[in-house]
Amino acid sequence: MALALAEQSILQTKRRQPVIEFKGVTKNYPNGTHALEDVNISIGSGEFVFVVGSSGAGKSTFMKLIMREEKPSAGEITVNGFRLNKMAHKEIPLLRRTMGIVFQDFRLIPNMTVYDNVAFAMHVTGADSHDIRIQVAKSLSRVGLGDKARSMPNQLSGGEQQRVGLARALVNAPSLIIADEPTGNVDPNMSYEIVSMLTDINKRGTTVLMVTHDHNLVRDFGHRVIMLDHGHIVADNAGGKIDEN
Amino acid sequence: MKISSVRYLTKEGVKNVWVNRLMSISSVGVLVACMVLIGLAIMLSLNISRIIGDLEQQNVVMAYLDDYNAALYDQNGRTPPEGAVVDENGIAAESYLVHNKEEAMAVRDRIASLDNVASAEYVSKEDGLNDIKSTLLEGEAEYFTFLDEENGNPLSDAVKITMTDMSLFDETIETIQAVPGVESIESQNDLAEKINSIKSGVFIAGIIIVAILMVIALVIVSNTIRVTMYNRKLEISIMKAVGATDSFIRIPFVVEGVTIGILSAVLSEAVLYSCYRVASEAILSNIGSYTLIPFGAKAWMIFGVFIAIGVAAGVFGSSMMIGKYLRREGSEFSAI
Repeated sequence: MALALAEQSILQTKRRQPVIEFKGVTKNYPNGTHALEDVNISIGSGEFVFVVGSSGAGKSTFMKLIMREEKPSAGEITVNGFRLNKMAHKEIPLLRRTMGIVFQDFRLIPNMTVYDNVAFAMHVTGADSHDIRIQVAKSLSRVGLGDKARSMPNQLSGGEQQRVGLARALVNAPSLIIADEPTGNVDPNMSYEIVSMLTDINKRGTTVLMVTHDHNLVRDFGHRVIMLDHGHIVADNAGGKIDEN
Repeated sequence: MKISSVRYLTKEGVKNVWVNRLMSISSVGVLVACMVLIGLAIMLSLNISRIIGDLEQQNVVMAYLDDYNAALYDQNGRTPPEGAVVDENGIAAESYLVHNKEEAMAVRDRIASLDNVASAEYVSKEDGLNDIKSTLLEGEAEYFTFLDEENGNPLSDAVKITMTDMSLFDETIETIQAVPGVESIESQNDLAEKINSIKSGVFIAGIIIVAILMVIALVIVSNTIRVTMYNRKLEISIMKAVGATDSFIRIPFVVEGVTIGILSAVLSEAVLYSCYRVASEAILSNIGSYTLIPFGAKAWMIFGVFIAIGVAAGVFGSSMMIGKYLRREGSEFSAI
């Protein structure tokens, strides 16, 4: 009981520190598209945040800026302590190692087993084979796929493939999970299961940022919601409240 | 980078050669063709150099000495000083430098010590005359017996010289000419020029052929790597997403390129050996007098050249391609 309280208090202290911070961020593309305009947002450590908005609202650009795939045209972005505006090219891999990315289309390598797909993310960071064996096994059992390590991706259902993607995102113990419509290609039941898993991960202190179109999920899970429209943040509500207007 | 990472990346690179085997086989095929042509160009130029070397050895320069005969047959500027004791031909002993074999040998030694002189052999005037006679047709020699009997041998003692480097022909002739006791020089200057122009021609042609083939090799490897790279676009995007450095992404491609290069080098050595054997047998049956340099004598050198070309093409071809890809498209991991 005392341990649980202490854990709760540590988590609350951490929550005060922003993991993602946008200050007056604007992003214009060379083709004239104004993707984001003067966005100010702060996401604290240990938060679970849904990002919603219609197509073209600026969600993808918002995510790309966080992953430092794009640079802002104006404003400042800080992610996991990295100031992205002033970041050298060689520092980008270090930033990305602090986050786990879950893609809508799973992005599993078809000719690799489930185990190798997850281990691959650890090889990239230069981990040794002993650690890889332990962490991959842990990660797969966390998403309930401990017995599928030797399967090939095409032998798995869509939901299972996305869980492999989730295991891969978790294997390097990131402090931030970026999930870009992770339920977009799976059935409604599996969608709930995946968001439940992300919620469990979040409860252990990992910040989760998830883009989704599924308003039911947002309402049912009741996390903070950021709504984007035409490059602006039009709503930032707690408790899964979506302003349908 | 950790050893485990290096091992993993090397394994991935070698595996790619197999996964991408159709493309690998075609690039190995073209690379082998290039390398065999390079090898043949090298062996051809080595053989031509050897033939030229033999020709150089045959390109003899004769330095005739300033002995009594020279004085006798060429009295220009040899007017005896006033009061000098002269013989019946009106020539003073001081007007020629070489009086006997010892003095002729001293001049020979001096010539032999000059730079670029490969050999210097003393030829007495009697031997010289016999040499000339031996080149005449049967019976013709009889017409020249009067030279010995009535007027004596018109030749001087001489030194037969061969040079090491024919490109320094003119300079060497000048230094020989400046040796005291040398009266005149007889040489085939035009042959030396021809040899030099053939030599430089072979060298330049060899360089051009090798350079063109090297560029082809580089293009072939880089194209193979490009295909692999596009096949592995998904992997690269995931690698970037999970924080792989550019060098980590690059290494398997470089290993793949180098593996293709080394495989090609080994195959090329075997193919070149067979080609050279067939070629030398064909040449020997046509012009039997000349023997080609045996392949075994140059096998390691050629293999070294092949490995160097293979590794260089692998490293540069793949680095060029992946570098370009990572700069232009590789960062787009969320939209492949």
